Amino acid sequence: MTTFADAATSFIALQPDAADRARAWATFEALGLPTTTDEVWRYAPLGELSLERFAPSTTSPARAESNIVQGLAAHAGLVVRVVDGVVTSTGETLEGVSVTSEVTRRDADDVARYADDAFAHLNAALAPTTIVVRVARGAQVTRPVVIVHRTDSRASFPHTFVTLEDGADATVVEYYEGGEDALVVPISEYRVGENAVLRLVTYQRLAASAWHIARSTGVVARDGRLLQAVVGLGGYYDRSRNDAVLAGPGSHNELRTTFLGAGRQVHDFRTHQLHLGAHSSSLLLSKGAVADESRSIYTGLIEIEHGARRTDARQTNHNLLLSPLAHADSVPNLDIRENDVRCAHASSVGPLDELQRWYLESRGVTPADAQRLMIRGFYNEMLVALPAQLAELVERDVTGVLESVTAVAS
Amino acid sequence: MGSHLVIEGLHVEVGGVLVLKGLDLSMRSGEVHVIMGPNGSGKSTLAHALAGRPGYRVVSGTVSLDGVDLLALSPTERARAGLLLALQQPLEVPGVRPYDLLLAAGADPSGLRERMIDEARRVELSPDVLERFVNVDLSGGERKRAEMVQVGVLRPRFAVLDEIDSGLDVDALGAVARRLSAAAHEWGCGILAITHFRRLLSELVPTRIHVMSEGRVVATGGPELAEVLERDGYEPFRASAAQPS
Repeated sequence: MTTFADAATSFIALQPDAADRARAWATFEALGLPTTTDEVWRYAPLGELSLERFAPSTTSPARAESNIVQGLAAHAGLVVRVVDGVVTSTGETLEGVSVTSEVTRRDADDVARYADDAFAHLNAALAPTTIVVRVARGAQVTRPVVIVHRTDSRASFPHTFVTLEDGADATVVEYYEGGEDALVVPISEYRVGENAVLRLVTYQRLAASAWHIARSTGVVARDGRLLQAVVGLGGYYDRSRNDAVLAGPGSHNELRTTFLGAGRQVHDFRTHQLHLGAHSSSLLLSKGAVADESRSIYTGLIEIEHGARRTDARQTNHNLLLSPLAHADSVPNLDIRENDVRCAHASSVGPLDELQRWYLESRGVTPADAQRLMIRGFYNEMLVALPAQLAELVERDVTGVLESVTAVAS
Repeated sequence: MGSHLVIEGLHVEVGGVLVLKGLDLSMRSGEVHVIMGPNGSGKSTLAHALAGRPGYRVVSGTVSLDGVDLLALSPTERARAGLLLALQQPLEVPGVRPYDLLLAAGADPSGLRERMIDEARRVELSPDVLERFVNVDLSGGERKRAEMVQVGVLRPRFAVLDEIDSGLDVDALGAVARRLSAAAHEWGCGILAITHFRRLLSELVPTRIHVMSEGRVVATGGPELAEVLERDGYEPFRASAAQPS
C-alpha cells in the first residue's frame, strides 16, 4: 500500500518546480500536523487526523453535478470546472476575464505569511497548479465567474489566485463539493487593484465526512473594495481562515461568514483584518447556527497598524444554539497601534429568543413554523448580502439541512 | 350564535408574586368591553396570561371559550381557537416579514397582501411599513397600528388589546377605535380593550366597563361608569375600599 508521503514524493518529483515543492514538503514535515495544544487549533478534532487516512486509494467515480452547480451555472457568465485542483474546463470566454493554469508560484509575502502554517506548505507542495483568474483593468463584468471545485480523490489541494486590475469590477464564486472521506486544503489569494471591486462568494458544500482546511488572503489596494461572503455548510471539520490586508488608503473589506452545523460537525472560522492604509475600513459579520451535537468557533482579529489613521473597523459575531448539546465559542480580538481610529466588536451566543417565539405563536403560528421563521430571519441578514440567485440556492440548502436536524431546543 | 368568553376566579403569579387574585369576567362576541384601572392593578397580566406568555403562571381559576378550556391549550392553539392579543409593546422579530407571519398564522393566502394593505389604510398606517421586518424600526404608534393589521387580517373571535391607545396621537387613536368598532360588527369580534386612559372611550363605545384593582374586577357597569371615573378617579374603587356586592 502506498503511504501518503510516498505518493507525495512521487508526485513532486514529476513537477516542473519540483525543487520548490520539495522544500515546501520538507517544511511541512518539519512542522508536522498541528496539535490541540496549539491555541489556534484548540478546538479541532485533531486526534482523529492522520494523513494516512487520506493516502491515495481508488478514486471515487465521478458523480453527476449537483443541483447547486446547475443553479450556479444557470446565472454565471463563466463556469470554470476544477477537479482535485486541476482545471477540466474553462467554459466560454467572458470579456475582460482570463482563466489560466500556471505553474504554482508563491510570492515572498505569501511565503512569509504562511511560514508557520503546515497546511499552507502542504498546499504549496501538492497543489497541481495555480488557477489564475485575471480581470482586466477597468473591466466591468456583470455576470459571475463561477469556479466549481470538485474533490474526487482522497486529498485535494486547490490553489486559486484571483486578481482584479485597477478599476475592474467582478463577482467570483468559489464553490466546493465532493470530498467523501477526503482532506481538502484550498488556498486562495485575492488581489484587488486600485478602485477595483471584487464581490466574492466562497460556498463550501463538501461531503459530511470531509476535512476542509481552507485559507484565503485578500490584499486590497487604494480605494479598492473586497466584498466577501463565506458560506460553510459541508464537511466534518470545516476550518475557514479568511484574512484581508487593507494595504491601500481608503481600501474597504466586508466579510460575512455564515455556517450551519448539524450532526457532530465542527465549523472553525478565523479572520484577520490587517489595516495598513489610512481611512481604510472593514466590516465583519459572522452569523451561524449549531444544531445536534455540532459546534462552532469564531476567532477574529482586527489589527490596526500605526499610521492607519481614521480606520473604521467593526466585527460582529452572533451564534444561535439550536440544541442543548450544541456549542459555540466566540473570541473577538482587537490589536490597535494607532489612536485615531473607530473600532468596535460585539458577539452573542444563545438559543432562539423565547419571547419572540411566543409572540409568533400567540398569533397562531405553530411552534415548528415559528422556529423556522426565526431561523430564516436569523440568516436573512447574511442572505440579502449575496447575489439574489445565489441567496435562493443557499436558503434552500440551509432549509434542507434544518429539516434533517434531529434535536432542536425548545 | 355568538361566542362566549368566560374567566372565573383567575389567579396568576408572575415572578413569584401573585398579581391576579380571583378575576371574573364574562363577555360575548360583538361586545366591546373595556378594562380600566390604575397602574399595577393587573390589567396587562390578564392580557398576557390569556395569551400564555412564558413566566405567567396560572395558579387557579378557569378561562373558557365556548366551553373549551383555554388554559389547557398552547399559545398557538389559543390563537387558533380565536383569541388574539395585541400587545402594549409588540416584539421585534428581525428577519421575519409581516406577510410571512400572517401566512404561518393561518391567514388565507388568496388576496392576503391586498387585505394587509387595506387594513393598514384603515388605521392610517403606511403600507410600506408592512414590508419591514415585524416591528423592527417602527415607532410606538406604528407598532400599535401594525398589531391592528394582524387583528383585521386574522379576524379573531375575541381580540384582547393591551393599552392599544398608548403612543397614538388623537387622530390615530380615532382610526384604531373606529376599526375596532367596525370589527365588532363585521365579524362579531368581541373586543376586550385594556387602558388606563379614559380618552379611548370617546371613540370606542363600550358595552361594559370593568374597573380593576389589586388583581380583581371590583366594579362592572355600562358606559355611565366612565363618568364616575371621570369625576371621582379610581380611589373609590380600590379593592380595600370596595364593598363586596
